[in-house]
Amino acid sequence: MGKLFALACKDFRILIADRGNLFWVFAFPAIFALLFGAVYAGAGDGPSGMKVAVVDEDESTFSQLYVGHLEGNEALEIARQDRETAFEQVRKGSRAAAVVIKPGFGDGFGAIFDANEPKLAIALDPGRRMEGAYLQGLLAKAQFEVMGQQFQDRQWLRGQMNNWRSEITEASDLEPEDANVFLRYFDAMDTFLADVNEQTYEAGFGEGMLSVATVDVQREYDGPRTPFQITFPQAIIFGILSCAATFAVSIVRERTGGTFQRLCIGPISQAHVLAGKGLACAATCLMVIALLTSAGRLIFKVPVASPALFVLAAICTVLCFVGLMMFISTLGKTEQSVGGAGWAILMIMAMFGGAMMPLVFMPSWMRSISHFSPIRWGIVAMEGAIWRNYTFVEMLWPCTVLIVIGIVFFTFGVLTLRRAQL
Amino acid sequence: MIRVESLRKRFGTIVAVDDVGFEVPRGQAFGLLGPNGAGKTTTINILCGLLRPDQGTVSLAGKTDPTRPDVRASLGVVPQTLALYDELSAQGNLEFFGRINGSTGAHLKNRVTACLEIAGLVPRRKDKVATFSGGMKRRLNLACSLLHEPAILLLDEPTVGVDPQSRNLIFDSIETLKAEGRTIIYTTHYMEEAQRLCDRVAIMDQGRMLALDTVENLIAQHGGPSHIEAELEDVPADPAELAKHLPEKGLHIDQRAVRFETAEPMQSLAVLNRSGLRLRALKVETANLEDVFLNLTGRRLRD
Repeated sequence: MGKLFALACKDFRILIADRGNLFWVFAFPAIFALLFGAVYAGAGDGPSGMKVAVVDEDESTFSQLYVGHLEGNEALEIARQDRETAFEQVRKGSRAAAVVIKPGFGDGFGAIFDANEPKLAIALDPGRRMEGAYLQGLLAKAQFEVMGQQFQDRQWLRGQMNNWRSEITEASDLEPEDANVFLRYFDAMDTFLADVNEQTYEAGFGEGMLSVATVDVQREYDGPRTPFQITFPQAIIFGILSCAATFAVSIVRERTGGTFQRLCIGPISQAHVLAGKGLACAATCLMVIALLTSAGRLIFKVPVASPALFVLAAICTVLCFVGLMMFISTLGKTEQSVGGAGWAILMIMAMFGGAMMPLVFMPSWMRSISHFSPIRWGIVAMEGAIWRNYTFVEMLWPCTVLIVIGIVFFTFGVLTLRRAQL
Repeated sequence: MIRVESLRKRFGTIVAVDDVGFEVPRGQAFGLLGPNGAGKTTTINILCGLLRPDQGTVSLAGKTDPTRPDVRASLGVVPQTLALYDELSAQGNLEFFGRINGSTGAHLKNRVTACLEIAGLVPRRKDKVATFSGGMKRRLNLACSLLHEPAILLLDEPTVGVDPQSRNLIFDSIETLKAEGRTIIYTTHYMEEAQRLCDRVAIMDQGRMLALDTVENLIAQHGGPSHIEAELEDVPADPAELAKHLPEKGLHIDQRAVRFETAEPMQSLAVLNRSGLRLRALKVETANLEDVFLNLTGRRLRD
């Protein structure tokens, strides 16, 4: 055991003697986690409010009330602008839409009964039609809510109806029979408004025309609480990849440099020498995991749902990549060939395994291919412990896959190295 | 101590070692002399268990399996390549290989210090090997094999590419180790090294062992005659008269220069002295292992 420890210590000392190795094994994964964590954090905030420009060309009391009401809606981020500026911003994409309130909008609750010309126009990027439909709904809702507020003022409403009666009486394009229908309706409404008591009136109109109650229901949470929960497993995988590639190259360096021979000549078996290399690789990988996890936990408050399962996932992932390291070391006879082939294979595995693009963001065809990459199983195992809330039984599947892959590659690598040696 | 019988190793179609056999008694230095590709390193690799022979046996201190840990513990191998970690210091390398050989604590510390002294690297003990000259690395390469005080040393061209100062230091170290009673197998293609260090030498070429004996016997048997070359004060008036005083074999007289072969250089010098000739310069060329190799193979050692 002392000799194994000596072998592992030697490899670790050689690893840290090279600043380049230190960067790729320890610093790069941390930078990766931070960078992509920050990117996903920005993407994961959700819509902060649709950015809409409002052009109020009516400037009536009702239009002012209407714009004010829109500004109070959290789903919208309203900017009052002139028509030219508003349209320019939509064209450049800095605003999703521009709402133009045309003159005459304030007449009759947003010209709601005006059949001639719409007094409200939406200028929209054609590529954002879905947001346009959403905006139309919000605008209609706002119009009715402002109307509802106005209706609460009974005297204002009676005065408004007097105005409408005068307009109907003076309207030349209205048939007398139709005019009488409207006039009888407004007379009845006026009588109602004059006679109804305050309590009854408020019960009918006090909360506005459309009253929808909202009930907050806490959704059962089944996703990551912070984007760092996604990026830290990826970063850990990158750290492990760097370790595996570095140690694979170090085995070739020992073989070509003669130190491997010197070790094999010593009073230890070749299996000891390879086990020592594996131990050094595993210890360094675990160190990388410990450092990144500690940094994630302490600095970025990355929660780990099950620390015990995370340790299990980490150990299985490390064992798998120690096996891969041994296999990669047999891919060539020089440092250059093993370094090149090793990184090429690892990068393909990383690309399809979810180390570059999170598995949750992958298209389905890529997710299917990812089953063949050990990186996928490493990430799934770690995510299972960090935020997927895996049970021990659920964790067994990815861990078993990792260990089997590790054993197969390690055995293949050791046998190939022994054959090459003898 | 070391017995090798009918060793044969083939790599594909190339026969690297073909029917090689020798014995080395305890405390002797045995040389394997031959050009590159002669099969010296393959023989060493078989001796230390890195290669399995296709045929033949190896016995080290009575044990036929060189991969046994107890056999390897008695074996010190200096590989031809510099088997060192450039990223570690001289002391770091020695400490690591010492631990691998089972040394710990005060014993390890003492052995590391002793080996640093053998290699003449005490002042540079803390420096990384990457900063060392080729000669310093060679010395450390040798020292790393001495940490566990092995009874048998296999030195595979330990002086390749080193400066004369380092070479002499390595020679001194090897002579000290030999004087301590260690059994040494030394491969080289420098005949001067074999002549200086080895009690017996095997001449190898293309995997085969061509001759094996002490250096003196090899030269006597295969080296050919010695030559004496003299430069006279005056041009002889009658070269035929002069020739009567000198051995006939291989005699060349050219103006003042006289050259002839002799199997007994000392007797020939006495004859020359008695001849009354006035000599300006005298040179005796005795046969060496280079001549042995040339006579055995028809090629020079460095061809």
